[in-house]
Amino acid sequence: MKIVVASGKGGTGKSMLASSMTILFSKNSRVVACDCDVDAPNLGLWLGITEYDTKKRISTSEKAYINPKKCVECGECFDACRFGAVERDRGFKINPLLCEGCGVCQLVCPEEAIELKKVMNGEIRLNETKLGFPLVSGQLYPGETGSGKIVQELRRKAEEFDQDVMILDSAAGIGCPVIASVTGCDFALLVTEPTPSGFTDLGRILEIVNHFQIPFGIVLNKWDINPTMSKKIESWSGERLLGKIPYDRKVVDSIVNLKPVIYSDATATSEILKVFEKIKNLKP
Amino acid sequence: MKERLIASTGGKGGTGKSTFAVLLALKLSNDGEKVVLCDCDVECPNDYLLLNEEIVDPEPIYRELPELDEAKCVKCGMCSRVCKENAIFWVEEKFPMLFLDLCSGCGACWITCPNDAIKPKEELAGEYFSNEVNSNLWLVTGRSKPGISETGPIVGEAKGRAMKLAGDIKADRLIVDTSPGTHCNVIQALLNCGKAYVVTEPTPLGAHDAGLILELIQKMQIPAEIVLNKSDIGDRKQIEKIAINFGVPITIEIPYSDELVRAYSHGKLEEMVDLI
Repeated sequence: MKIVVASGKGGTGKSMLASSMTILFSKNSRVVACDCDVDAPNLGLWLGITEYDTKKRISTSEKAYINPKKCVECGECFDACRFGAVERDRGFKINPLLCEGCGVCQLVCPEEAIELKKVMNGEIRLNETKLGFPLVSGQLYPGETGSGKIVQELRRKAEEFDQDVMILDSAAGIGCPVIASVTGCDFALLVTEPTPSGFTDLGRILEIVNHFQIPFGIVLNKWDINPTMSKKIESWSGERLLGKIPYDRKVVDSIVNLKPVIYSDATATSEILKVFEKIKNLKP
Repeated sequence: MKERLIASTGGKGGTGKSTFAVLLALKLSNDGEKVVLCDCDVECPNDYLLLNEEIVDPEPIYRELPELDEAKCVKCGMCSRVCKENAIFWVEEKFPMLFLDLCSGCGACWITCPNDAIKPKEELAGEYFSNEVNSNLWLVTGRSKPGISETGPIVGEAKGRAMKLAGDIKADRLIVDTSPGTHCNVIQALLNCGKAYVVTEPTPLGAHDAGLILELIQKMQIPAEIVLNKSDIGDRKQIEKIAINFGVPITIEIPYSDELVRAYSHGKLEEMVDLI
Protein backbone atom coordinates (compact mmCIF):
# COMPACT_ATOMS: atom_id res chain seq x y z
CA MET A 1 0.00 0.00 0.00
CA LYS A 2 1.54 3.28 -1.11
CA ILE A 3 0.14 6.49 0.36
CA VAL A 4 1.43 9.79 -1.01
CA VAL A 5 0.99 13.03 0.92
CA ALA A 6 0.73 16.08 -1.35
CA SER A 7 -0.75 19.57 -1.37
CA GLY A 8 0.34 21.82 -4.22
CA LYS A 9 0.94 24.75 -1.89
CA GLY A 10 3.95 24.57 0.40
CA GLY A 11 3.81 24.77 4.17
CA THR A 12 0.33 23.30 4.56
CA GLY A 13 1.53 20.44 6.78
CA LYS A 14 2.50 17.59 4.47
CA SER A 15 5.61 16.44 6.35
CA MET A 16 3.92 16.87 9.72
CA LEU A 17 1.07 14.61 8.59
CA ALA A 18 3.31 12.14 6.73
CA SER A 19 5.54 11.70 9.79
CA SER A 20 2.51 11.16 12.02
CA MET A 21 0.95 8.60 9.66
CA THR A 22 4.23 6.71 9.40
CA ILE A 23 4.56 6.41 13.17
CA LEU A 24 0.93 5.38 13.59
CA PHE A 25 1.09 2.76 10.83
CA SER A 26 4.35 1.38 12.24
CA LYS A 27 2.59 0.14 15.38
CA ASN A 28 0.88 -2.68 13.49
CA SER A 29 2.52 -2.87 10.07
CA ARG A 30 5.88 -2.85 8.39
CA VAL A 31 6.32 0.72 7.17
CA VAL A 32 8.83 2.57 5.03
CA ALA A 33 8.97 6.35 5.19
CA CYS A 34 9.97 7.92 1.90
CA ASP A 35 10.83 11.62 1.72
CA CYS A 36 10.22 12.55 -1.91
CA ASP A 37 10.87 16.28 -1.42
CA VAL A 38 14.43 16.10 -2.70
CA ASP A 39 14.72 19.90 -2.94
CA ALA A 40 13.94 20.53 0.71
CA PRO A 41 13.77 17.20 2.54
CA ASN A 42 12.19 17.74 5.96
CA LEU A 43 10.47 14.46 6.82
CA GLY A 44 13.51 13.37 8.84
CA LEU A 45 13.30 16.46 11.03
CA TRP A 46 9.64 15.74 11.79
CA LEU A 47 10.75 12.26 12.89
CA GLY A 48 13.49 13.75 15.06
CA ILE A 49 16.31 12.73 12.71
CA THR A 50 19.18 15.05 11.92
CA GLU A 51 21.88 12.51 10.99
CA TYR A 52 21.68 9.74 8.43
CA ASP A 53 23.18 6.23 8.75
CA THR A 54 24.28 6.14 5.14
CA LYS A 55 24.50 8.59 2.29
CA LYS A 56 25.23 7.50 -1.23
CA ARG A 57 26.10 10.04 -3.90
CA ILE A 58 24.38 9.30 -7.19
CA SER A 59 24.33 10.60 -10.71
CA THR A 60 21.07 10.94 -12.60
CA SER A 61 22.09 13.74 -14.90
CA GLU A 62 24.75 14.87 -17.31
CA LYS A 63 26.03 18.28 -18.30
CA ALA A 64 27.54 19.47 -21.53
CA TYR A 65 31.06 20.87 -21.85
CA ILE A 66 32.39 22.75 -24.85
CA ASN A 67 36.03 22.10 -25.68
CA PRO A 68 37.30 25.56 -26.63
CA LYS A 69 40.13 24.05 -28.68
CA LYS A 70 37.70 22.30 -31.00
CA CYS A 71 34.95 24.94 -31.02
CA VAL A 72 34.78 27.00 -34.22
CA GLU A 73 32.14 29.34 -32.76
CA CYS A 74 29.53 28.53 -35.38
CA GLY A 75 26.68 29.05 -32.90
CA GLU A 76 24.73 25.91 -33.84
CA CYS A 77 24.54 24.84 -30.19
CA PHE A 78 23.43 28.30 -29.13
CA ASP A 79 20.51 28.18 -31.57
CA ALA A 80 19.51 24.61 -30.75
CA CYS A 81 19.47 24.73 -26.94
CA ARG A 82 15.92 25.06 -25.63
CA PHE A 83 17.00 25.88 -22.11
CA GLY A 84 19.12 28.96 -22.78
CA ALA A 85 22.13 27.13 -21.35
CA VAL A 86 24.58 28.08 -24.10
CA GLU A 87 26.04 31.49 -23.40
CA ARG A 88 27.83 33.67 -25.89
CA ASP A 89 30.58 35.58 -24.16
CA ARG A 90 33.91 35.68 -25.99
CA GLY A 91 33.24 32.26 -27.46
CA PHE A 92 30.57 29.85 -26.35
CA LYS A 93 30.14 28.41 -22.89
CA ILE A 94 27.63 26.18 -21.15
CA ASN A 95 25.96 27.57 -18.04
CA PRO A 96 25.82 24.44 -15.86
CA LEU A 97 22.95 25.89 -13.82
CA LEU A 98 20.73 25.89 -16.89
CA CYS A 99 22.02 22.80 -18.70
CA GLU A 100 19.50 19.94 -18.62
CA GLY A 101 21.95 17.45 -20.09
CA CYS A 102 19.67 16.70 -23.02
CA GLY A 103 22.60 16.46 -25.42
CA VAL A 104 21.06 18.52 -28.23
CA CYS A 105 24.15 20.73 -28.42
CA GLN A 106 26.32 17.68 -28.87
CA LEU A 107 24.02 16.40 -31.62
CA VAL A 108 24.16 19.61 -33.64
CA CYS A 109 27.87 20.41 -33.15
CA PRO A 110 29.64 19.86 -36.49
CA GLU A 111 33.08 19.74 -34.85
CA GLU A 112 32.47 17.20 -32.08
CA ALA A 113 33.55 19.88 -29.66
CA ILE A 114 30.89 19.09 -27.07
CA GLU A 115 31.07 16.32 -24.54
CA LEU A 116 28.48 15.20 -22.00
CA LYS A 117 29.82 14.39 -18.57
CA LYS A 118 28.00 12.65 -15.76
CA VAL A 119 27.52 14.80 -12.67
CA MET A 120 26.93 13.64 -9.13
CA ASN A 121 23.73 15.63 -8.73
CA GLY A 122 22.37 14.24 -5.52
CA GLU A 123 22.38 11.61 -2.85
CA ILE A 124 20.19 8.90 -1.39
CA ARG A 125 20.09 8.74 2.39
CA LEU A 126 19.05 5.91 4.63
CA ASN A 127 18.19 5.80 8.27
CA GLU A 128 17.06 2.86 10.38
CA THR A 129 15.12 5.08 12.74
CA LYS A 130 14.81 4.45 16.46
CA LEU A 131 11.09 4.45 15.82
CA GLY A 132 11.37 1.01 14.25
CA PHE A 133 11.06 1.69 10.52
CA PRO A 134 13.44 2.86 7.82
CA LEU A 135 13.48 6.35 6.36
CA VAL A 136 14.64 6.72 2.79
CA SER A 137 15.27 10.24 1.64
CA GLY A 138 17.16 12.04 -1.05
CA GLN A 139 18.76 15.35 -1.76
CA LEU A 140 19.13 17.01 -5.11
CA TYR A 141 22.16 19.21 -4.66
CA PRO A 142 21.18 22.88 -4.94
CA GLY A 143 21.56 24.07 -8.52
CA GLU A 144 21.51 20.59 -10.06
CA THR A 145 18.88 19.21 -12.40
CA GLY A 146 16.99 15.93 -12.33
CA SER A 147 14.77 16.07 -9.25
CA GLY A 148 12.26 13.62 -10.74
CA LYS A 149 14.97 11.06 -11.40
CA ILE A 150 16.28 11.33 -7.83
CA VAL A 151 12.73 10.66 -6.64
CA GLN A 152 12.60 7.57 -8.88
CA GLU A 153 15.92 6.35 -7.46
CA LEU A 154 14.90 6.77 -3.85
CA ARG A 155 11.58 5.06 -4.48
CA ARG A 156 13.49 2.13 -5.96
CA LYS A 157 15.62 2.04 -2.80
CA ALA A 158 12.53 2.16 -0.59
CA GLU A 159 11.03 -0.81 -2.47
CA GLU A 160 13.92 -2.98 -1.26
CA PHE A 161 12.50 -3.11 2.27
CA ASP A 162 9.90 -5.68 3.27
CA GLN A 163 6.82 -3.61 3.82
CA ASP A 164 3.07 -3.39 4.11
CA VAL A 165 2.84 0.38 3.83
CA MET A 166 4.98 3.05 2.22
CA ILE A 167 4.33 6.69 3.08
CA LEU A 168 5.62 9.10 0.46
CA ASP A 169 6.00 12.76 1.41
CA SER A 170 5.93 14.79 -1.79
CA ALA A 171 7.38 18.20 -2.60
CA ALA A 172 5.24 21.32 -2.99
CA GLY A 173 4.06 22.19 -6.47
CA ILE A 174 2.66 20.04 -9.25
CA GLY A 175 5.71 19.62 -11.50
CA CYS A 176 8.40 17.06 -12.17
CA PRO A 177 9.28 15.79 -8.65
CA VAL A 178 5.63 15.76 -7.58
CA ILE A 179 4.54 13.79 -10.62
CA ALA A 180 7.37 11.31 -9.91
CA SER A 181 6.09 10.96 -6.32
CA VAL A 182 2.39 10.59 -7.08
CA THR A 183 2.64 8.10 -9.94
CA GLY A 184 2.04 4.48 -8.95
CA CYS A 185 0.56 5.29 -5.53
CA ASP A 186 -2.63 3.68 -4.20
CA PHE A 187 -3.95 6.61 -2.23
CA ALA A 188 -3.29 10.33 -1.94
CA LEU A 189 -3.64 12.30 1.27
CA LEU A 190 -4.12 15.90 0.17
CA VAL A 191 -3.38 18.51 2.80
CA THR A 192 -4.85 21.97 2.51
CA GLU A 193 -5.42 25.08 4.60
CA PRO A 194 -8.36 27.50 4.61
CA THR A 195 -6.83 30.25 2.50
CA PRO A 196 -7.56 31.14 -1.12
CA SER A 197 -4.07 29.86 -1.98
CA GLY A 198 -4.50 26.56 -0.14
CA PHE A 199 -7.87 25.89 -1.76
CA THR A 200 -6.80 26.91 -5.28
CA ASP A 201 -3.66 24.77 -5.09
CA LEU A 202 -5.69 21.81 -3.80
CA GLY A 203 -7.58 22.03 -7.08
CA ARG A 204 -4.29 21.99 -8.99
CA ILE A 205 -2.78 18.96 -7.22
CA LEU A 206 -6.11 17.22 -7.67
CA GLU A 207 -5.72 17.49 -11.45
CA ILE A 208 -2.50 15.47 -11.14
CA VAL A 209 -4.05 12.92 -8.75
CA ASN A 210 -7.06 12.50 -11.04
CA HIS A 211 -4.80 12.19 -14.06
CA PHE A 212 -3.29 9.09 -12.45
CA GLN A 213 -6.76 7.99 -11.22
CA ILE A 214 -5.63 7.70 -7.62
CA PRO A 215 -8.26 7.62 -4.85
CA PHE A 216 -7.77 10.47 -2.42
CA GLY A 217 -8.82 12.03 0.85
CA ILE A 218 -8.51 15.60 2.09
CA VAL A 219 -7.12 16.86 5.38
CA LEU A 220 -7.90 20.45 6.32
CA ASN A 221 -5.05 21.80 8.43
CA LYS A 222 -5.15 24.96 10.60
CA TRP A 223 -8.90 25.03 9.92
CA ASP A 224 -9.61 27.61 12.63
CA ILE A 225 -7.51 30.39 11.05
CA ASN A 226 -10.46 31.04 8.72
CA PRO A 227 -13.63 29.17 9.72
CA THR A 228 -15.69 30.67 6.87
CA MET A 229 -13.27 29.44 4.25
CA SER A 230 -13.05 26.11 6.09
CA LYS A 231 -16.80 25.62 5.77
CA LYS A 232 -16.50 26.17 2.04
CA ILE A 233 -13.70 23.60 1.71
CA GLU A 234 -15.59 21.16 3.94
CA SER A 235 -18.74 21.25 1.87
CA TRP A 236 -16.69 21.07 -1.34
CA SER A 237 -14.84 18.01 -0.01
CA GLY A 238 -17.90 16.17 1.28
CA GLU A 239 -17.06 12.59 2.18
CA ARG A 240 -13.51 13.03 1.01
CA LEU A 241 -12.74 15.10 4.09
CA LEU A 242 -10.78 12.90 6.48
CA GLY A 243 -10.14 15.40 9.22
CA LYS A 244 -9.83 18.98 10.43
CA ILE A 245 -6.70 19.87 12.35
CA PRO A 246 -6.72 23.09 14.39
CA TYR A 247 -3.86 25.60 14.34
CA ASP A 248 -1.77 24.82 17.37
CA ARG A 249 1.45 26.48 18.44
CA LYS A 250 2.44 23.23 20.17
CA VAL A 251 3.04 21.83 16.69
CA VAL A 252 5.70 24.52 16.28
CA ASP A 253 7.13 23.60 19.70
CA SER A 254 7.29 19.97 18.58
CA ILE A 255 9.37 20.71 15.53
CA VAL A 256 11.62 23.11 17.43
CA ASN A 257 12.32 20.30 19.90
CA LEU A 258 12.53 17.71 17.09
CA LYS A 259 9.87 15.66 18.79
CA PRO A 260 7.19 14.01 16.60
CA VAL A 261 3.86 15.81 16.96
CA ILE A 262 2.07 12.57 17.64
CA TYR A 263 3.93 12.24 20.96
CA SER A 264 3.01 15.73 22.11
CA ASP A 265 -0.09 16.90 23.94
CA ALA A 266 -1.02 19.22 21.07
CA THR A 267 -4.74 19.48 20.42
CA ALA A 268 -3.85 18.71 16.81
CA THR A 269 -2.82 15.20 17.87
CA SER A 270 -6.32 13.85 18.49
CA GLU A 271 -7.45 15.02 15.04
CA ILE A 272 -4.43 13.39 13.43
CA LEU A 273 -5.40 10.14 15.15
CA LYS A 274 -8.88 10.42 13.65
CA VAL A 275 -7.40 10.76 10.17
CA PHE A 276 -5.34 7.64 10.77
CA GLU A 277 -8.40 5.69 11.92
CA LYS A 278 -10.04 6.49 8.60
CA ILE A 279 -7.18 5.35 6.41
CA LYS A 280 -5.66 2.51 8.41
CA ASN A 281 -7.74 -0.19 6.74
CA LEU A 282 -7.23 1.02 3.18
CA LYS A 283 -6.36 -1.70 0.72
CA PRO A 284 -4.62 -1.13 -2.58
CA MET B 1 18.16 46.21 -14.93
CA LYS B 2 20.06 43.83 -12.67
CA GLU B 3 20.01 45.94 -9.50
CA ARG B 4 16.32 46.57 -10.06
CA LEU B 5 15.54 42.85 -10.25
CA ILE B 6 14.78 41.45 -6.79
CA ALA B 7 13.76 37.92 -5.82
CA SER B 8 11.70 36.58 -2.94
CA THR B 9 12.61 32.96 -2.31
CA GLY B 10 13.20 30.60 0.61
CA GLY B 11 13.65 26.91 -0.16
CA LYS B 12 10.87 25.70 2.07
CA GLY B 13 7.21 26.05 1.18
CA GLY B 14 4.85 28.16 3.23
CA THR B 15 7.46 30.38 4.85
CA GLY B 16 5.91 33.56 3.46
CA LYS B 17 7.66 34.10 0.13
CA SER B 18 4.51 35.31 -1.61
CA THR B 19 3.35 37.33 1.39
CA PHE B 20 6.70 39.11 1.51
CA ALA B 21 6.86 39.64 -2.27
CA VAL B 22 3.38 41.16 -2.28
CA LEU B 23 4.07 43.33 0.78
CA LEU B 24 7.31 44.58 -0.76
CA ALA B 25 5.62 45.33 -4.07
CA LEU B 26 2.82 47.22 -2.32
CA LYS B 27 5.22 49.14 -0.12
CA LEU B 28 7.51 50.23 -2.94
CA SER B 29 4.58 51.19 -5.15
CA ASN B 30 3.00 53.14 -2.28
CA ASP B 31 6.30 54.99 -1.96
CA GLY B 32 5.92 56.12 -5.56
CA GLU B 33 8.04 53.57 -7.42
CA LYS B 34 6.74 51.85 -10.52
CA VAL B 35 6.79 48.15 -9.72
CA VAL B 36 6.20 44.95 -11.68
CA LEU B 37 5.65 41.85 -9.56
CA CYS B 38 6.15 38.57 -11.39
CA ASP B 39 4.73 35.41 -9.85
CA CYS B 40 7.24 32.77 -10.95
CA ASP B 41 5.71 29.99 -8.84
CA VAL B 42 4.02 28.78 -12.01
CA GLU B 43 2.97 25.43 -10.53
CA CYS B 44 0.96 27.13 -7.79
CA PRO B 45 0.79 30.88 -8.41
CA ASN B 46 -0.97 32.68 -5.57
CA ASP B 47 0.08 36.34 -5.69
CA TYR B 48 -3.07 37.26 -7.61
CA LEU B 49 -5.15 35.80 -4.79
CA LEU B 50 -3.22 37.78 -2.18
CA LEU B 51 -3.87 40.95 -4.20
CA ASN B 52 -7.52 40.06 -4.70
CA GLU B 53 -7.08 40.09 -8.46
CA GLU B 54 -8.69 37.82 -11.00
CA ILE B 55 -7.32 35.97 -13.97
CA VAL B 56 -9.28 37.00 -17.02
CA ASP B 57 -8.47 35.85 -20.56
CA PRO B 58 -4.96 34.57 -19.96
CA GLU B 59 -2.67 34.30 -22.96
CA PRO B 60 -1.41 30.84 -23.86
CA ILE B 61 2.21 29.77 -23.52
CA TYR B 62 3.18 27.05 -25.96
CA ARG B 63 6.07 24.68 -26.10
CA GLU B 64 7.21 22.33 -28.79
CA LEU B 65 6.76 18.60 -28.33
CA PRO B 66 7.58 15.83 -30.79
CA GLU B 67 4.97 14.31 -33.07
CA LEU B 68 5.55 11.11 -35.02
CA ASP B 69 4.60 10.73 -38.66
CA GLU B 70 4.34 6.97 -39.08
CA ALA B 71 4.26 7.27 -42.88
CA LYS B 72 7.84 8.55 -42.81
CA CYS B 73 9.18 6.47 -39.89
CA VAL B 74 11.51 3.59 -40.82
CA LYS B 75 11.55 2.23 -37.24
CA CYS B 76 15.30 2.75 -36.87
CA GLY B 77 15.10 3.68 -33.17
CA MET B 78 17.57 6.57 -33.37
CA CYS B 79 15.09 8.87 -31.60
CA SER B 80 14.84 6.51 -28.67
CA ARG B 81 18.61 6.28 -28.33
CA VAL B 82 19.17 10.03 -28.11
CA CYS B 83 16.31 10.71 -25.66
CA LYS B 84 17.82 11.29 -22.20
CA GLU B 85 14.42 11.51 -20.54
CA ASN B 86 13.46 7.95 -21.53
CA ALA B 87 10.37 9.43 -23.11
CA ILE B 88 10.64 7.34 -26.29
CA PHE B 89 10.19 3.59 -26.09
CA TRP B 90 11.24 1.54 -29.08
CA VAL B 91 11.64 -2.15 -29.91
CA GLU B 92 13.02 -3.60 -33.13
CA GLU B 93 10.61 -3.45 -36.09
CA LYS B 94 8.04 -1.38 -34.21
CA PHE B 95 7.15 2.28 -34.34
CA PRO B 96 8.60 4.22 -31.41
CA MET B 97 6.14 5.17 -28.67
CA LEU B 98 6.32 8.75 -27.38
CA PHE B 99 5.52 9.40 -23.72
CA LEU B 100 4.95 13.13 -23.70
CA ASP B 101 4.47 13.20 -19.90
CA LEU B 102 8.20 12.56 -19.63
CA CYS B 103 9.28 14.78 -22.52
CA SER B 104 11.23 17.96 -21.78
CA GLY B 105 10.82 19.22 -25.34
CA CYS B 106 14.58 19.39 -25.87
CA GLY B 107 14.33 18.50 -29.55
CA ALA B 108 16.97 15.77 -29.62
CA CYS B 109 14.60 13.33 -31.36
CA TRP B 110 13.53 15.60 -34.21
CA ILE B 111 17.07 16.86 -34.74
CA THR B 112 18.29 13.26 -34.98
CA CYS B 113 15.55 11.59 -37.03
CA PRO B 114 17.10 10.84 -40.44
CA ASN B 115 13.73 10.81 -42.22
CA ASP B 116 12.00 13.84 -40.74
CA ALA B 117 9.44 11.48 -39.26
CA ILE B 118 9.46 13.38 -35.97
CA LYS B 119 8.54 17.02 -36.09
CA PRO B 120 7.99 19.58 -33.37
CA LYS B 121 4.38 20.45 -32.70
CA GLU B 122 3.21 23.35 -30.56
CA GLU B 123 1.34 22.27 -27.46
CA LEU B 124 -0.25 24.35 -24.74
CA ALA B 125 2.09 24.32 -21.73
CA GLY B 126 0.70 27.10 -19.62
CA GLU B 127 -0.61 30.61 -19.62
CA TYR B 128 0.37 34.10 -18.70
CA PHE B 129 -1.57 37.18 -17.74
CA SER B 130 -1.02 40.60 -16.30
CA ASN B 131 -3.09 42.77 -13.99
CA GLU B 132 -2.76 46.48 -13.39
CA VAL B 133 -3.21 46.43 -9.62
CA ASN B 134 -2.94 50.20 -9.30
CA SER B 135 -1.30 53.00 -11.23
CA ASN B 136 2.13 52.04 -9.83
CA LEU B 137 1.86 48.27 -9.60
CA TRP B 138 1.51 45.57 -12.23
CA LEU B 139 1.31 41.86 -11.59
CA VAL B 140 2.46 39.30 -14.16
CA THR B 141 1.49 35.71 -13.44
CA GLY B 142 2.71 32.55 -15.13
CA ARG B 143 0.74 29.35 -14.65
CA SER B 144 1.67 25.88 -15.88
CA LYS B 145 -0.86 23.49 -17.31
CA PRO B 146 -1.35 20.67 -14.76
CA GLY B 147 0.47 17.57 -15.97
CA ILE B 148 3.38 19.55 -17.44
CA SER B 149 6.49 18.20 -15.78
CA GLU B 150 9.18 20.63 -16.92
CA THR B 151 8.03 24.01 -15.61
CA GLY B 152 11.33 25.93 -15.83
CA PRO B 153 10.68 27.15 -19.40
CA ILE B 154 7.27 28.51 -18.34
CA VAL B 155 9.00 30.49 -15.58
CA GLY B 156 11.43 31.81 -18.19
CA GLU B 157 8.54 32.79 -20.43
CA ALA B 158 6.58 34.58 -17.70
CA LYS B 159 9.68 36.37 -16.48
CA GLY B 160 10.54 37.41 -20.03
CA ARG B 161 7.09 38.99 -20.42
CA ALA B 162 7.44 40.73 -17.05
CA MET B 163 10.82 42.13 -18.08
CA LYS B 164 9.37 43.40 -21.31
CA LEU B 165 6.49 45.05 -19.46
CA ALA B 166 8.94 46.55 -16.96
CA GLY B 167 10.89 48.01 -19.87
CA ASP B 168 7.77 49.34 -21.60
CA ILE B 169 6.43 51.15 -18.55
CA LYS B 170 9.92 52.14 -17.36
CA ALA B 171 9.46 50.32 -14.06
CA ASP B 172 11.81 51.07 -11.19
CA ARG B 173 11.63 47.49 -9.90
CA LEU B 174 10.83 44.00 -10.97
CA ILE B 175 10.15 41.66 -8.07
CA VAL B 176 10.10 37.93 -8.79
CA ASP B 177 8.36 35.54 -6.42
CA THR B 178 9.87 32.05 -6.77
CA SER B 179 8.44 28.63 -6.07
CA PRO B 180 9.69 26.57 -3.12
CA GLY B 181 12.70 24.33 -3.72
CA THR B 182 16.09 24.76 -5.31
CA HIS B 183 15.80 23.27 -8.81
CA CYS B 184 15.34 24.51 -12.36
CA ASN B 185 12.13 26.51 -11.90
CA VAL B 186 13.71 28.42 -8.99
CA ILE B 187 16.99 28.86 -10.88
CA GLN B 188 15.13 30.38 -13.84
CA ALA B 189 13.43 32.84 -11.51
CA LEU B 190 16.65 33.80 -9.71
CA LEU B 191 18.67 34.22 -12.90
CA ASN B 192 20.10 37.76 -13.27
CA CYS B 193 18.60 38.98 -10.00
CA GLY B 194 20.56 41.71 -8.25
CA LYS B 195 19.31 40.74 -4.84
CA ALA B 196 17.50 37.84 -3.23
CA TYR B 197 15.43 37.91 -0.07
CA VAL B 198 15.44 34.51 1.61
CA VAL B 199 12.17 34.29 3.51
CA THR B 200 12.35 31.74 6.30
CA GLU B 201 10.91 30.86 9.70
CA PRO B 202 12.63 30.15 13.02
CA THR B 203 12.27 26.35 13.02
CA PRO B 204 14.75 23.58 12.20
CA LEU B 205 12.83 23.19 8.91
CA GLY B 206 13.27 26.84 8.01
CA ALA B 207 16.96 26.74 8.92
CA HIS B 208 17.60 23.54 6.97
CA ASP B 209 15.93 24.78 3.80
CA ALA B 210 17.32 28.31 4.07
CA GLY B 211 20.77 26.71 4.08
CA LEU B 212 19.98 24.90 0.83
CA ILE B 213 18.65 27.94 -1.00
CA LEU B 214 21.58 30.06 0.25
CA GLU B 215 23.93 27.46 -1.20
CA LEU B 216 22.25 27.94 -4.58
CA ILE B 217 22.20 31.72 -4.25
CA GLN B 218 25.89 31.73 -3.40
CA LYS B 219 26.62 29.60 -6.50
CA MET B 220 24.69 32.13 -8.55
CA GLN B 221 26.62 34.98 -6.89
CA ILE B 222 23.52 36.91 -5.90
CA PRO B 223 23.70 39.15 -2.81
CA ALA B 224 21.16 37.91 -0.26
CA GLU B 225 19.33 39.05 2.85
CA ILE B 226 17.25 36.99 5.25
CA VAL B 227 13.65 37.85 6.05
CA LEU B 228 12.65 36.13 9.27
CA ASN B 229 8.92 35.51 9.21
CA LYS B 230 6.97 34.56 12.36
CA SER B 231 10.11 35.85 14.05
CA ASP B 232 8.72 35.61 17.57
CA ILE B 233 7.77 31.94 17.59
CA GLY B 234 10.03 28.90 17.54
CA ASP B 235 13.77 29.19 17.96
CA ARG B 236 15.75 31.77 16.00
CA LYS B 237 19.23 30.64 17.03
CA GLN B 238 19.56 28.25 14.11
CA ILE B 239 18.66 30.96 11.62
CA GLU B 240 21.21 33.27 13.22
CA LYS B 241 23.79 30.53 12.83
CA ILE B 242 22.94 30.07 9.14
CA ALA B 243 23.12 33.84 8.66
CA ILE B 244 26.64 33.90 10.11
CA ASN B 245 27.76 30.81 8.17
CA PHE B 246 26.72 32.32 4.87
CA GLY B 247 27.63 35.90 5.79
CA VAL B 248 24.10 37.05 5.08
CA PRO B 249 22.31 39.56 7.33
CA ILE B 250 18.82 39.18 8.78
CA THR B 251 17.38 42.52 7.68
CA ILE B 252 13.64 42.16 8.10
CA GLU B 253 11.66 40.49 10.86
CA ILE B 254 7.93 39.90 10.69
CA PRO B 255 6.37 38.75 13.97
CA TYR B 256 3.52 36.27 13.93
CA SER B 257 0.19 38.04 13.99
CA ASP B 258 -3.36 36.89 13.68
CA GLU B 259 -4.08 40.06 11.67
CA LEU B 260 -1.54 39.06 9.03
CA VAL B 261 -2.95 35.55 8.82
CA ARG B 262 -6.42 37.03 8.44
CA ALA B 263 -5.28 39.57 5.83
CA TYR B 264 -3.57 36.76 3.92
CA SER B 265 -6.58 34.52 3.92
CA HIS B 266 -8.89 37.35 2.85
CA GLY B 267 -6.69 38.86 0.13
CA LYS B 268 -6.20 42.11 2.06
CA LEU B 269 -2.45 42.35 2.43
CA GLU B 270 -2.41 46.06 1.53
CA GLU B 271 -3.53 46.75 5.11
CA MET B 272 -0.34 45.14 6.43
CA VAL B 273 2.30 47.02 4.42
CA ASP B 274 3.76 48.63 7.54
CA LEU B 275 5.00 45.24 8.69
CA ILE B 276 8.09 45.49 6.51
